[in-house]
Amino acid sequence: MRKLALLATSVALLASSSFAKDVSVGVAMSMSGPLAAYGQTAYEGIEFANSLQPKLKNGDTIKLVLIDTKGDKVESANAATRLISSDKVVGILGELTSTNTAQVMAIAEKKQIPVISPVATNDKLTEQKEFANRVCFTDSFQGAVVANYATKDLKLKTAVVVVDQAQVYSLGLAKAFTDAFTKAGGKVIKEIKVSSGDKDFKAVVSQIKAANPDMLFLPMYHPEVSMIARQAKQIGLVKPMFSGDGVANQTFIDLGGDAVEGYMFTDFFDYAAPPTQRSKDFIAAYAQKTGKQEVNSFVALGADAYNVMIDAMNRCANPEDSVCVNKEIKATANFEGVSGVINMDKTGNSTRSAVIKVVQNGKAVYKATVNP
Amino acid sequence: MDLTMFMQQMVNGFSLGSMYALIAIGYTMVYGVLRLINFAHGDIMMVGGFLGYFGIAILGLPFGAAVLLAIVGSAILGMASDFIAYRPLRSAPKISLLITAIGVSFFLENAFNVFFGGVPRAFPVPAYLEEIVDIMGLTMPVSAIIVPIITAFLLAAILWVLFKTKYGMAIRALAFDVGTVNLMGIDANRIITLVFGMGSALAAVGGIFWAVNYPSVEPMMGVLVGLKAFAAAVVGGIGSVGGAVLGGLIIGFTEVVVIAFFPELGGYKDAFAFIFLILILLFKPTGILGIDFEKSRF
Repeated sequence: MRKLALLATSVALLASSSFAKDVSVGVAMSMSGPLAAYGQTAYEGIEFANSLQPKLKNGDTIKLVLIDTKGDKVESANAATRLISSDKVVGILGELTSTNTAQVMAIAEKKQIPVISPVATNDKLTEQKEFANRVCFTDSFQGAVVANYATKDLKLKTAVVVVDQAQVYSLGLAKAFTDAFTKAGGKVIKEIKVSSGDKDFKAVVSQIKAANPDMLFLPMYHPEVSMIARQAKQIGLVKPMFSGDGVANQTFIDLGGDAVEGYMFTDFFDYAAPPTQRSKDFIAAYAQKTGKQEVNSFVALGADAYNVMIDAMNRCANPEDSVCVNKEIKATANFEGVSGVINMDKTGNSTRSAVIKVVQNGKAVYKATVNP
Repeated sequence: MDLTMFMQQMVNGFSLGSMYALIAIGYTMVYGVLRLINFAHGDIMMVGGFLGYFGIAILGLPFGAAVLLAIVGSAILGMASDFIAYRPLRSAPKISLLITAIGVSFFLENAFNVFFGGVPRAFPVPAYLEEIVDIMGLTMPVSAIIVPIITAFLLAAILWVLFKTKYGMAIRALAFDVGTVNLMGIDANRIITLVFGMGSALAAVGGIFWAVNYPSVEPMMGVLVGLKAFAAAVVGGIGSVGGAVLGGLIIGFTEVVVIAFFPELGGYKDAFAFIFLILILLFKPTGILGIDFEKSRF
């Protein structure tokens, strides 16, 4: 009898250990380089969401495999290849900037591995791609949000747009804004092109000062925008300034100092106005672990990229079947995420609300929510 | 474009060009004595910026003391890099030296990346440097005036050392012929170390200026600046200190002029710096103030 019991337990042990295994999910993000602030915050969200929900419904454990893309295009492509071919991941979370995400998505598409980008907003990313998804909104939406807010609520008529021509994010968002702003009755009087990595914008801000617009739209990432804001202040150029989610980061405010007071930008989420029960729980758990209430929107979006991926895996008979996982990601409807309610469509884009924030006393403060 | 606007852009160009000039001097001097393009020079500038940051933000030093710390620290680092990486290769082919310089550059970038992370840190600029002054309708921060003045002062100091002191004579002699200098009883290695120290100290000043003007420091900040300062040194005539300053100003003005007159080409302003480099190499390989290296030095 004892022998039988022993046999039964060992069989049960064997069986359960052969069932519960590790399933790898890849993460490709810029943990170093000029855009390290993005990767470090988004990955913080993914890790934290993973600690809250480390297992699938069937008992398998999710293993995160992180590769640093250094914010670089080629490194991003390499990261995707490595994750798929040597780490055998079911899906990939990342990248964060649109240029780099395009690389990851192009490689994953060929290998039929689903990608969920937390924050890459360029419109074209998901076009004609089966395995490309995102939990953020697109640039045409966020450009229109800024344009409408500026023309209707603030009654601003003319704008100068500064474009980072080395980033598809910037080009796409600038176009989306210009279209929506013109449609709303505004006029873009000048468009100035710069390149990421630039530090000296004195000539640019002098130009803008001479053009004397009602507002500035700077659809770029925080290292360049913070420098433009500072140098604008130095020559006495004080106008309402807007950006997209590219500056939704405390590093932006640290670098910009008091030159970014009053700066406005679109964002996905604000911890002060938690949109769902899940965000309330997340914020509470986050506060308990880190001691701070402020959940950055990249943390929330990182967590949601993870949550949507796990949710889709749970709905597949075999969670390692990448094609099924991808189908289920696209079928995500009314998903209660940390950053808000997410509805995915067949194109891999999600429909969700945006918030507008303004920098006050060195902190990004919630101003308004805009629904699609 | 009205006159005020034009003058404003000239001020912008002068301030930017002065910073390139400071860094270009280091390239030119090391090239002069060793025939080595020290690609780690831009990263020494980065270290200078970081040392200034540590001095102010962590040690709580006043700005002047932090600058001194950056200068001394970078000079020591420059001399150490010569001692560790370049001195053992004195008799090796020049290409080995060049590759080692690139290695030193990568080492510094990655070491800082590992220890301090890639997220840019805000540089605490003293308020008096950021104060805005208004001169005849031109608005600029105090730093935009101070940078060219200090550059001019340092240039004068370097020229004085080179042409009026015993050490300067040794440096010039060394640039002419290492073998003979050794025969004359001058310790060539000591003089080369001195050149590295001087160049690195200037790079540190450039790094601090850079961090003051664009108030952030991060491990890769020296890469593009270093390349442009190198282009400046070649355009001005590598091996000539005056040429480095001239080249720096030319590159700085070019960048500003491109944006001011052709805003739609603004994103390509870096390309213009390098177009200058290519044209100079094609038509006057020795650079504008360049000299035939077989005849004279500096």
